Amino acid sequence: MKPKIGFFDFTSCEGCQLEVLNFEGELVELLKLVDIVNFREAMTEKSDDYDIAFIDGAITTEAGISRIKKIRKQAAVLIAMGTCACLGGINCLKNFRTMEENLKIVYGDAAHYYDTIPARPVDAVVPVDYYLPGCPMNKDEFITLVKALLLNKKARLPNYPVCVECKLAGNVCVFEKGETCLGPVTRAGCKAICVTSGRHCWGCRGLVNDPNIDSEKEILQKHGLTTADILERFRHFNGYLEVSK
Amino acid sequence: MTEKVLSKQNLNIFINTLLSRGEEIVGVKKKEGKYAFGKIADAEEVCLDYDITLLPPSMYLLPQREALLKFNIAERPVASPVIEANPFILFGVHPYDIKAIELLDTAFSTDNLDTNYLSRREAATIIGVDCLNPNPNAFCPSMDTAFTDKGYDLLLTDIGDSYVIAIGSERGQALLKGCPDTQEATQVELKRKEEERQKALGQYKVALDTPLEKLPQLLDKSWNSSLWEERSEACLSCGSCVMVCPTCFCFDVQDDIELDLVEGERYRQKDACMLVDFAAVAGGGNFRDDKTSRYRHRMYRKGKYIMERFGKPGCVGCGRCASACLAEIASPAETFNLMRGESK
Repeated sequence: MKPKIGFFDFTSCEGCQLEVLNFEGELVELLKLVDIVNFREAMTEKSDDYDIAFIDGAITTEAGISRIKKIRKQAAVLIAMGTCACLGGINCLKNFRTMEENLKIVYGDAAHYYDTIPARPVDAVVPVDYYLPGCPMNKDEFITLVKALLLNKKARLPNYPVCVECKLAGNVCVFEKGETCLGPVTRAGCKAICVTSGRHCWGCRGLVNDPNIDSEKEILQKHGLTTADILERFRHFNGYLEVSK
Repeated sequence: MTEKVLSKQNLNIFINTLLSRGEEIVGVKKKEGKYAFGKIADAEEVCLDYDITLLPPSMYLLPQREALLKFNIAERPVASPVIEANPFILFGVHPYDIKAIELLDTAFSTDNLDTNYLSRREAATIIGVDCLNPNPNAFCPSMDTAFTDKGYDLLLTDIGDSYVIAIGSERGQALLKGCPDTQEATQVELKRKEEERQKALGQYKVALDTPLEKLPQLLDKSWNSSLWEERSEACLSCGSCVMVCPTCFCFDVQDDIELDLVEGERYRQKDACMLVDFAAVAGGGNFRDDKTSRYRHRMYRKGKYIMERFGKPGCVGCGRCASACLAEIASPAETFNLMRGESK
């Protein structure tokens, strides 16, 4: 029997779900192996009978907490998909202001209609079985994970920094160009797409398991960033982590 | 063999003749103020006065990722080897990179023959060029890699308006036959080549304090040095040093399967000892789970283990690692010199 899959969105731009729809060629192949039974962005039918849940987005409301708990109860496997679900992502920028301020900025006079709590990754609320970090998540990693689940194999994320893939891509180091980068502490798997495209790493895939933050901060400082700049850089995607506090 | 001489202009004609004959040429091109090996489409792109390339040319012999076999796990599983090796010319390889390739040749033909590597190696014609403009982090003279008299099919030396060409193999000689403009090198031209080489030797800024053959002994005494921890404190475990290294040849082997869950391939891809999971094993153990032991291990590979196993140093002194390391701790020469200072 084909496993049943559901996609669920919380606070996010829903771009990671869009990525799934962008699979095109692979999507048809994928549908031979699994049934998608719940995918608001792509279909009208909805079923609460699913085995694997892909979660897009961070948890930012009390209602979100009870909803994710319900999904966790149903799903045999729960996967955090994209930076918001894995790390809290840019949603956590609001955690550095009071919730009242946030509501006022966004909703003005209508603020009292809404509920908001500090943003958090999915695993701050329920256990997560697998992670697909990245803004947006990476298509190859998604497919690799689905294949691993179907074959009952272990799927692992790279546990080395972006520098590995960046060097292999033949890039000139961002620091050598007089700019700064979070690549040395950020988990690889993106094939250093931002640096290859002429920018720097923003850290959207989160940190490697054992990052040398002190060394990275020292290097960033040596290349002109202040302590405040560094904090801001980490907070961009990693606001939920200790490194941003 | 006698040496030839070819004017710079005629070298360009030679390159374009090879290209028009359909030869695949991989050579050095400019890249954002640096240099990188890449496929050459016209002689105009070729740089021969570069200091160093971002990545070493050995990656064309040992690709970052390559399929080893294709399999099909239907009812009757089958697997067949994949060996891809198309003839190509590696153009403008510096002597230290030639020596690095010689180390790979030894490593991949000792004990188990590595058919994938050796087939690709056989398909490669190597045209070297003397490095007259060394990278500030290089210490080739200390590693005996500033010049070489073998390991190439042809070797060029820039003597101003022309190149002296040393012929290193019959393949090289045959290739030059397609270049009617070469002349026998005169004594004056050979003298100029020697002068250019001497001038280049004077430009190296880094040198080993220990004679090359004494490195293993130096490291024998240094295992418990506190310098390992001090030096590795800033290590990011980012792998930059090992990703750009011309002598690093370690790889990981994995299987990948298509979405039909039937067809797939076994591939190998670059892996390296400075990465946290390199020495991780089943059951969750890791033989080198701290940065100090990884850092020390790499230095022992460069200065001792490889030399003892294959008779050639595991480092050619190119300086790529030192240039790539943001923490400024990767240079083997600097590390060995510190160890030497301590052991005195």
